[in-house]
Amino acid sequence: VLHCFSTGVAAALPNLVGFSSLARGWRAALATAMVACSVLGCGPDRPAESRVTIMQLEAPLTMDPADHTASLTMDVLDPMYESLTRFDQNLEVSPSLATKWSVDSSGTKWTLELRKGVLFHDGTPFDAQAVVDSFNRLLDPDRGLAGASRVRTIVKQVTAVAPSTVLFTLTSSYASFPRVLAVTPVVSPLADKGGQLSRLAVGTGPYKFVEWKTSEYVLEERNEQYWGPHPKVKQLKWIWTSEPVLMNMSVLAGEADIINPLPPIFAEALSRNPKVKLIEGNESRVFWVALNTQRKPLDDIRVRQALNYATDRKALVRTQLRGFGTPANSPLAPADFAYDPETKGYPFDLERAKALLAEAGYGNGFALKIAVQEPDVDLVEALQGMWANVRVNLEIEGMEHGVFSQTIFGSPKQKAEQGIDCVFASWASDNTDPDYQLAPLYRSNQWSPSGANLGFYANGHLDQLLESAAAELDGEKRKALYRQAQQIISDDAPHVLLYYARDIAAQHPGAVPTPVRLLPGGRVELETKD
Amino acid sequence: MRNYWLRKILAVPLILLVASFLIFWAVRLLPGDPARLMAGMQADQKVVDSVRSRLGLDKPFAIQYEIFLRNVLHGDLGTSIRSHKPVAEEIAERFPYTLALTTVSFALAVAVGTTAGVFAAIFNGRAVDHLVMVTAISGASIANFWLALLAMNLFAVRLAWVPLLGANSWKSYILPAITLALLPSAVIARMCRASMLDIIHQDYIRTARAKGLSTAKVYVNHALRNALIPIVTIVGMNFASLLGGAVITETVFNWPGLGRLMVDAVRYRDYATIQGITLLTVAIVIAVNFAVDVFIGLVDPRIRFD
Repeated sequence: VLHCFSTGVAAALPNLVGFSSLARGWRAALATAMVACSVLGCGPDRPAESRVTIMQLEAPLTMDPADHTASLTMDVLDPMYESLTRFDQNLEVSPSLATKWSVDSSGTKWTLELRKGVLFHDGTPFDAQAVVDSFNRLLDPDRGLAGASRVRTIVKQVTAVAPSTVLFTLTSSYASFPRVLAVTPVVSPLADKGGQLSRLAVGTGPYKFVEWKTSEYVLEERNEQYWGPHPKVKQLKWIWTSEPVLMNMSVLAGEADIINPLPPIFAEALSRNPKVKLIEGNESRVFWVALNTQRKPLDDIRVRQALNYATDRKALVRTQLRGFGTPANSPLAPADFAYDPETKGYPFDLERAKALLAEAGYGNGFALKIAVQEPDVDLVEALQGMWANVRVNLEIEGMEHGVFSQTIFGSPKQKAEQGIDCVFASWASDNTDPDYQLAPLYRSNQWSPSGANLGFYANGHLDQLLESAAAELDGEKRKALYRQAQQIISDDAPHVLLYYARDIAAQHPGAVPTPVRLLPGGRVELETKD
Repeated sequence: MRNYWLRKILAVPLILLVASFLIFWAVRLLPGDPARLMAGMQADQKVVDSVRSRLGLDKPFAIQYEIFLRNVLHGDLGTSIRSHKPVAEEIAERFPYTLALTTVSFALAVAVGTTAGVFAAIFNGRAVDHLVMVTAISGASIANFWLALLAMNLFAVRLAWVPLLGANSWKSYILPAITLALLPSAVIARMCRASMLDIIHQDYIRTARAKGLSTAKVYVNHALRNALIPIVTIVGMNFASLLGGAVITETVFNWPGLGRLMVDAVRYRDYATIQGITLLTVAIVIAVNFAVDVFIGLVDPRIRFD
């Protein structure tokens, strides 16, 4: 760094007329000022015509779609990559790079016919071998790709049976396999071999990668060789900040055309501003408090149910979400196809809560410690007030993101040592499939740190039910199994379910010449592919 | 005197070595698991373990340090786990923005602070003095990010006089530079005033006046020059630490400098980047210390480091 600079300054100095005649004391000052001025023009170029700037709350982590699990990173990558299947407007699975598929009666062998004449952005042809390579990198544990969990659990082998036919052999029957495929982008095998995918996106999508300036932006340009309809917008520019206030000001100042995700407090304010249009998506994210079912007094189901009765969900939605959400009755989100609005949850009933606590021997109350990320402390403070009504003293431990993620994935022993009784958490299943919502959170083999069952809940019957439901190929039968599962979980109350938050973004109506929609999990998509 | 400089120069590699160890060790004391953060909340433990092994974080501490040290000696600060770029390249991309912002704001702080301080000293006890001191105390006390947000809302969003984000033109420098200059100019004004007050009552100032020198010459050439010594020391140290990145200002203004890089690196426990920026900051502090020593020697020939 220093070398670069000294060279730059040394090169610039002789060009300055009269520099040598300046008084010695001023030379240093002038040189410094020159360094300053030389970088004044270092910023990105002026906006091109037909460019849409999208600002997010988080920087992308990588350009490799398989090496992360962050939905805001996927947002950035989505225009450049495609998967074998995709979600249509109604969130149903529809063809993308695969034109049709079939499954054998065992549910383990899926055969896909691939789209012909498609090229990756680097000119490599898209074919069965490219699909095999793209999935094999996920299956290889030595690659250590961060987003490999799901595919590694489900897929056993991928084979190219013909240049445009590929066969997936699964470890066991998995009904939602096409939904998994929809969120598993295919990458150029050539780019992967070159080891550059983490910095350079190479897919088959309607936009091509142009530049990723780590601290500033990702620039994408329309792929003129795209096999499908070409998007209207020529360039997409992705920028980011960690400050919601700045995001809010950016859309008002017109420096961002779309901002995502928008915290409810700003959504409420912007909804009254005629210059800005709110984009409302699905309710795909469930918020809850996981209760440590292995620690007293939460090992008693009556105590857990009492906390559920003591929670005024409508008030939480009104105050914390500013109305942009719904009280939760089921562990599945409304965006999920198997969500059952009939699942019996817990109405706000303080008397019932007090009675249950008295019956369990905790009529005089007790203390609980909750782990929560710093930005969510406000939400938990609302709960603190509600639970104080039944003499439950909620001690809030606000944590920085990194500390939080380590704490909540602690083993039962670690959580006992730290005295963590509950965790404030949320989960959105990006493929709107109940298995990816319920299995990691409630199956007994998913106790943290192995999975995301953060309260160490275990119910053998539920385990069997979830396994059968995941394998069931008949849609209606599958739905019925998940209906049962939702009620069992609700009755066992391994958590205090809170609410479903609606995904919200905002845009300048005039600046974006194409409709914008929000996919489950809050991913923004410019409707270019339909 | 030659020995003094020689000793100082020879100490540099040793300081850097000790600092590198402390940084390397301290970064790993931070709670939080880089592999978990990289794999995300929805990853299972097997994937987190394989990410950890890929990052080399499953190796013993001593081996990790040995690899780090060997790489640093070959000019390789490691690769960022966030951007997947060499850390040196990442720093080279960001440092110019931080250097420019710091330089502009310090030039502003020195100009405003010294002028205000000199005037306050000259008009000691009068309205100008009180005005300067009240402003200086306010400048030092107000949370600059709060003031920055108000200014952004007014000048960038409502009036659209300056851009809101990033470092795209000279106009982008106005708000962040003023924000960053606020505290140092207040400190400089107060120090300059105190230092000047001390000096303008010295005998040699009376002598200078008695010689018939103009008031301006007396204050600038005789008083200010001597008053500068403590100011230069303070300004030097502040300048050096800010070159490591003005974390809050850069975050508020979305400035693509080292401060924001550091925030992101800490958030994701990007060890290599944190180590790289901290080592650079140590090197800058050493260099600026040198520069301050030299400058003080020039300003006050009585000071010699024997």
